[in-house]
Amino acid sequence: MSRVPRSLVWASFVLAIVGLLDAVYLAYEHGSGSNSLACPETGHLDCAKVTTSTYSELHGIPVAYLGLAFFVLLVLVMSPWAWANQSPLLRWGRVALVAGGLVFAIYLVWAELYRLDAICLYCTGVHLAIFLLFVVTLLAEAARMPAEDA
Amino acid sequence: MGGEVPAPEKFLSYTTCGSTSCITEGVPPKRRPTGTPANLSAPGSNAAASAKAEERRAKRVAAAEEARRELAARQRRSRLLGVGAIILAVVVVVAIVVAVGLLHSDKGAKTTAASDEVISGVTSIPAATFDKVGAGNIKTLPSAITADPLTADGKPRMLYVGAEYCPYCAAERWSVVAALARFGTFAGLGQTASTPKDVFPNTPTLSFHGSSYTSQYISFSGYEIEDTNGKPLDTLTSDDNTLVQKYNAPPYVGTGDTAGSIPFIAMFGSYVSQGASYSPDLFKGMTHAEVANAMQDPTTDVAKNVDAMANFFSAIICKATDGQPGDVCTSSGVQAAAAKLPTT
Repeated sequence: MSRVPRSLVWASFVLAIVGLLDAVYLAYEHGSGSNSLACPETGHLDCAKVTTSTYSELHGIPVAYLGLAFFVLLVLVMSPWAWANQSPLLRWGRVALVAGGLVFAIYLVWAELYRLDAICLYCTGVHLAIFLLFVVTLLAEAARMPAEDA
Repeated sequence: MGGEVPAPEKFLSYTTCGSTSCITEGVPPKRRPTGTPANLSAPGSNAAASAKAEERRAKRVAAAEEARRELAARQRRSRLLGVGAIILAVVVVVAIVVAVGLLHSDKGAKTTAASDEVISGVTSIPAATFDKVGAGNIKTLPSAITADPLTADGKPRMLYVGAEYCPYCAAERWSVVAALARFGTFAGLGQTASTPKDVFPNTPTLSFHGSSYTSQYISFSGYEIEDTNGKPLDTLTSDDNTLVQKYNAPPYVGTGDTAGSIPFIAMFGSYVSQGASYSPDLFKGMTHAEVANAMQDPTTDVAKNVDAMANFFSAIICKATDGQPGDVCTSSGVQAAAAKLPTT
């Protein structure tokens, strides 16, 4: 039996909730759609350009909806109750989830910078949340202490 | 000869580990009791020995516990170092991706003078073609507004604001040029394509940058504020900038999110439009000459959208010119479009 420092548990939970709120907004924006057929005059910061691009879908599924599902799952596995669970499947699943999310976030950043030449600030918020969750999750696993030490 | 070397004494030993090292204490056999002396029966002496043994056992347990903690702490430190290395590697990868991404440049099409074939194709669409397409497939129409008349040199004025990189501007320009060519003459039109890095990449189009327009009926100003690579191109005059700030926003066009979007067209103080009237997807994979040719053929999707929108622009211009020139303004295509124009 081992346990994770309480501060990291709560940090991961709060980050997952913040990411979820951002993902909800992006999914709503995607769902409401933009039919203006116009180019915003805002230089490199252009959410619509990113969220309506060809990179906004993966095999026909909107990335915004994938992000929403991803963060719903993250909120569940980052909850203090889930951290209290010692199941190796949950622990390794959690690490795999944030690592996979980080790889996908890097792919989306690449698409923004190299293919679309536009940055979506709300998407960047989600990417940052995933990166921080990756850091916190790894630190939490590395800093696990035997239960009697805590 | 030397004397016999006595055999080394055999020691019993106890190992006690502290936080950083272990000490082994030996107990010489001579000091060990070899039997149970008869005089050890005194109860007081028994208790003292038992207490000492207990104390030694407690020390051993504490030392073992300390060693276990030390080992756990060492493992934890090495795990944290490993995780730190992974995080550092990720940060380096992300930093490289972002830095190179911000510095790289994927150049868009170079703007050149429009070819004669393209110019003649777009500016000499037969009246029969315009009449055949009529109001066509156009669903998104300019908004009617009530504003001070927009004029220049005593003539009704039309103002276009776009950018060469913008795919929606690329689509709309074909209609603007086709319509204006019915009322006057362009010189110095360019041909280019929208940026390869946006939706509807490399949409073929014309450019108003460096062009001029002469007409006895109306005045026209076309601004391309940035080139295909997003570099600044034309600068709006202070008055035009004020006009755009006011009318390229709700309640005149679009929603709060689209205020300032391009293309924006202000027409004579009576109509404004923002965005494209049809999708740039219409021109996917086409060359400039192919677009110009398709505009001549009323059966093509290009004509049903581009020429039809040109009829709407023509109808708005005709309102400003009091129906001049008559052959354009009374044509069935323009009349069909005029019948569908919104009013204030």
